[in-house]
Amino acid sequence: MHFICCIKQVPDTSKVKIDPETNTLIRSGVESIANPYDMVALEAALTLKDTCGGKLTVLSMGPPQAEQVLREAISCGADEAILLSDRAFAGADTLATSYALTRAIEKLAQKTPVDIVCCGKQAIDGDTAQVGPGIATRLGYTQFTYVTEIKEIDTVNARITVKRKVEGGSEIIRGPLPCVLTVELELAKPRRASLPRLIHSLKSEIGVWNAEAIHGDNQKLGLKGSPTWVKKIFSPPFKEGGPRFDARENPRQAVEDCLKTLLADETFAFHLLKQWGQ
Amino acid sequence: MPKNSKGIEVAKILPEKCIGCQICVAECPVGAIEMSNGAAVIDPEVCIGCGKCFEVCPVEAVKFEKKRSPKKIRKPEEVAQYARDNYRGVAVFIESFNGQGATVSWELIGKARQLAEKLNTRVIGFLLGYEVNDSAREAIAYGCDEVHVIDDPLLRTYISKPYGKALTDLCKKVKPEIFLIGATPLGRDLAGIVATNLETGLTADCTGLDIEEEKNLLLMTRPTFGGNIMATIFCEHHRPQMSTVRPRVFKTPEKNPARNGNIYCHVLEPPHDKLPELIDFIKDVVSGDGVDISRFPALVVAGKGACDLETMPLLEELANLVGGIVACSRPVVEAGLMPYDRQVGQTGKTVAPKLYLGIGVSGAVQHLVGMQGSEKIIAVNADPKAPIFNVADVGIIGDYKKVVPVLIEELKKRKLRN
Amino acid sequence: MQENYDVAIVGAGPAGISAACVLAGKGIKTIVVERGEYPGAKNISGGVLYGHDLAAIIPDFVEKKCPVERNIIESRLWFLSKSGGYSLSFRDRAFYEKQAFNAFTVGRARFDRWFAEQARAKGALVVCSTVVTDLLRDSNNRVIGVTTDRPEGDLKARVVVLADGINSPLAAKTGFRPEPKPSHIALAVKEVIELPEEIINERFNTETGHGVTIEIIGEITQGMDGIAVIYTNKNSLSVCIGANLSDFMESKVKPYEMLEEFKQHPLVAPLIKDGQAKEYMAHWIAEGGYEAIPQLCGDGYLIAGDSGMLFNALHREGSNMAMTSGRFAAETIAEALDKGDFSRKTLAGYVARLQNSYVIKDLKKYRRFNAFRLQHHELFTTLPRLGSFAAQQMLTVDGVPKKEKQKAICKKFRKEISWGSLIRLLWTGWRSVK
Repeated sequence: MHFICCIKQVPDTSKVKIDPETNTLIRSGVESIANPYDMVALEAALTLKDTCGGKLTVLSMGPPQAEQVLREAISCGADEAILLSDRAFAGADTLATSYALTRAIEKLAQKTPVDIVCCGKQAIDGDTAQVGPGIATRLGYTQFTYVTEIKEIDTVNARITVKRKVEGGSEIIRGPLPCVLTVELELAKPRRASLPRLIHSLKSEIGVWNAEAIHGDNQKLGLKGSPTWVKKIFSPPFKEGGPRFDARENPRQAVEDCLKTLLADETFAFHLLKQWGQ
Repeated sequence: MPKNSKGIEVAKILPEKCIGCQICVAECPVGAIEMSNGAAVIDPEVCIGCGKCFEVCPVEAVKFEKKRSPKKIRKPEEVAQYARDNYRGVAVFIESFNGQGATVSWELIGKARQLAEKLNTRVIGFLLGYEVNDSAREAIAYGCDEVHVIDDPLLRTYISKPYGKALTDLCKKVKPEIFLIGATPLGRDLAGIVATNLETGLTADCTGLDIEEEKNLLLMTRPTFGGNIMATIFCEHHRPQMSTVRPRVFKTPEKNPARNGNIYCHVLEPPHDKLPELIDFIKDVVSGDGVDISRFPALVVAGKGACDLETMPLLEELANLVGGIVACSRPVVEAGLMPYDRQVGQTGKTVAPKLYLGIGVSGAVQHLVGMQGSEKIIAVNADPKAPIFNVADVGIIGDYKKVVPVLIEELKKRKLRN
Repeated sequence: MQENYDVAIVGAGPAGISAACVLAGKGIKTIVVERGEYPGAKNISGGVLYGHDLAAIIPDFVEKKCPVERNIIESRLWFLSKSGGYSLSFRDRAFYEKQAFNAFTVGRARFDRWFAEQARAKGALVVCSTVVTDLLRDSNNRVIGVTTDRPEGDLKARVVVLADGINSPLAAKTGFRPEPKPSHIALAVKEVIELPEEIINERFNTETGHGVTIEIIGEITQGMDGIAVIYTNKNSLSVCIGANLSDFMESKVKPYEMLEEFKQHPLVAPLIKDGQAKEYMAHWIAEGGYEAIPQLCGDGYLIAGDSGMLFNALHREGSNMAMTSGRFAAETIAEALDKGDFSRKTLAGYVARLQNSYVIKDLKKYRRFNAFRLQHHELFTTLPRLGSFAAQQMLTVDGVPKKEKQKAICKKFRKEISWGSLIRLLWTGWRSVK
């Protein structure tokens, strides 16, 4: 079987903090990491490969530095890595990204037909969760989003059964291959690469494909192929907050003052009265 | 302005101002910006002087003199003309589950009405499912002018492909200029399919929507970069302008059963592919008592500063008094004091109660994005610098162990008086 | 898939990477194992490097875009009391003309990555996020490789270079180096304070690209044997202060409080005014000097850099000794590989190289300096106070004849410190560094 895993390199947003005084981001050399959801997708793909056998190709799109995440994927067990890197890809929104990735997957599928594409549910920098469905739609593959467990893979009948998160619960769903899975963090815990694999990954060749290599329509790639534009970016509005009462000296006074201010607001007072009336 | 060897006046990043957010890196159309030692650096030889980085930089760290705005592919009048002629109306996807419309759909109809008024157009509902006519009438009661329904047994439960195809077909027929979908798991699964099929722009998880006056474009604002930054996004040249919107961001409008509207029924053209089959549905068995904190009008939220077992009964009492329930921030869940379904915040639940009482909650960004919609926010925290005070309507600085008992006492007094 | 290497190096700091550059440059199969996510992720130092030692490894480091922050053209020495102090500085045109990059500041995260990249380009493998947990030994107790915390984590090598720094859990575990005594270690804290480049140029009276180092002793270390430094980077200042660990343990002073107080000092505050603190970190410095140097080689292994306590406390030189010891280690290993003999006897060529170079010669010269400082705490208490008092008295114009002032100063000196002990201090101080 042929598995593909899409991995994005993202800034480590969890390390970003906001300065409460100035309400700006605290700059502390935010490092680039592999999107954590994608690393779970990689683990899912590796596990599938371990059970069914076959080949795992990892795919990323980004600047040349993004090869780092592909090496990481190889160190964990991926067989081949392709980086889509071209100035023509830059500035892509989710539509243009899914287009480029799809072209690449189609090219890979020409050589070896693809069975399962694994993606993270979303990337931690953009949080859109749109690229996975975009790829599935363009490829016409079965789409399973928010997957929390791979229940069964039936290679004979070419179908897969997964558990996925939906509103208010989970569903078990079975569908035909080929498919695209977008995975939740709880699906698996990414493995730690063995030392020999890690060394192997440092020596591996990473294939780099440009727009020409994937026979991309330039009108659909990068900035040109992106319908959405960022108009402006701003820090969330800085709120001063309401009055503060110091209870360190006299808690009772502070609580009284606080309640006085609160109950001066009639809607709020009304709400409390309604509660108490019952 | 510095020029490169091609004579282009290039942008320059002031490293002392750069906060290393990497937004410009992602936005640069030619990939001229790279990170170096925590700050962005522009390669002047690659830069095309478009000024995109200048526009998106949140901290004005880019030095760039804009000569003229970047080339427009189409003139504004043309776009307006194009949009007016071909695409009209603000559409909302009405999500329905077992014949019940999702609250977020009603919230979106309310917002769609405001947008439609600005655009002087109608509000359209798109409804898919099986035996969902009640929901169609309800959508009209909430503010739709017309509802387009595809009612088919194949749509009884949600399966990506038929739903995606049905909704794409409706969009192609009805041609709305704006299309809003609730950012529920179902909505986010579906929106990506439809936008890809229509090859149009889709902005995920918006928290703000407005109409830009000049070109009547939809301005979509969403948190990005882990909630640390807000981005306003627009989609100028493609229709419909699509967006998924977070639940509980907008208010549910008043329901008016007497409202008039048209219901149009369409026929499903089923996809030819082999479809997945739903085998089982497992209702969430919540580890705790199965309460949905987002349904309570008041929440007493325990934070890291009030993270001990003895405090909990005190908070329970306070919550009972204000007609609410105890919820918490992430550290309390991590400490094992409360189940996950009581957690407020980015990785927990988004809540918007009438009263939010934060006890020992410091107010990390990830928590704030999950509760900022609350009507009244009261914060009790010992640290006067805690960010929670910046969003609180009223704050009490002090040790919660001293404050909360007094608060309970005082509330009881006032309760008796009433 | 187990592969054997000629040399395994523990730690991608200046010592380890220097060794890797030289070894890989000779075509020797070399692997570096680093615990940080990337080289430099966990490496901390004041941030001054020396061109001479780097050029011996990468002669064209300037052309190869070594990420230099500022070329140091001026060194200042401050002797401070609580409220003021003496300043002595030296600047010379030579430091930006003939001898540019004699000393320069770097950001370690950036420099170490660049340095590791040079080693990679020469053919060395640099493996990150991997902790060496133990040494592999054969039946004769010879070191034959390392064990790491990864699955299938054993790595066989003919020689192991231990360059994992002062704070080495490996040293503690394997006992290749005795646990350093608290008096042999200084604990230093560092804050990087961001300021616009032009402001730094103005405040330090320099051109863009030129920098200043300030080395400071006195009452700032609150009576402990310690030192503070301020280094200029491109658009930030590194402000460090540290003291002997045994003194810290005794006095219970909190390092970050000491740093905060230092930043308020009248000579320091104007330099960092309006700056934004960007990073805060703490680290150890090997201050034991000559006496604390362990056995630097054994059967199958060598110790380089801070791991071997190679640090000149008086001149704050460590990175240069790390680089040069790394280079010597590499040269020795190359010879051993030719001979096919990795016994302690052959590897002792490394120690001989060190002994014949400035590294051990300098450390030997200053071998009594550590003890001297520890025994004369008045250097950090009475002396700066009295010195400041004297200068302040003499410089105050208040109608009092200078002769009387001189008398008062002498009286105060006599009261607080005897002439005999002052002379003894000067004598032992001289002897400790001669």
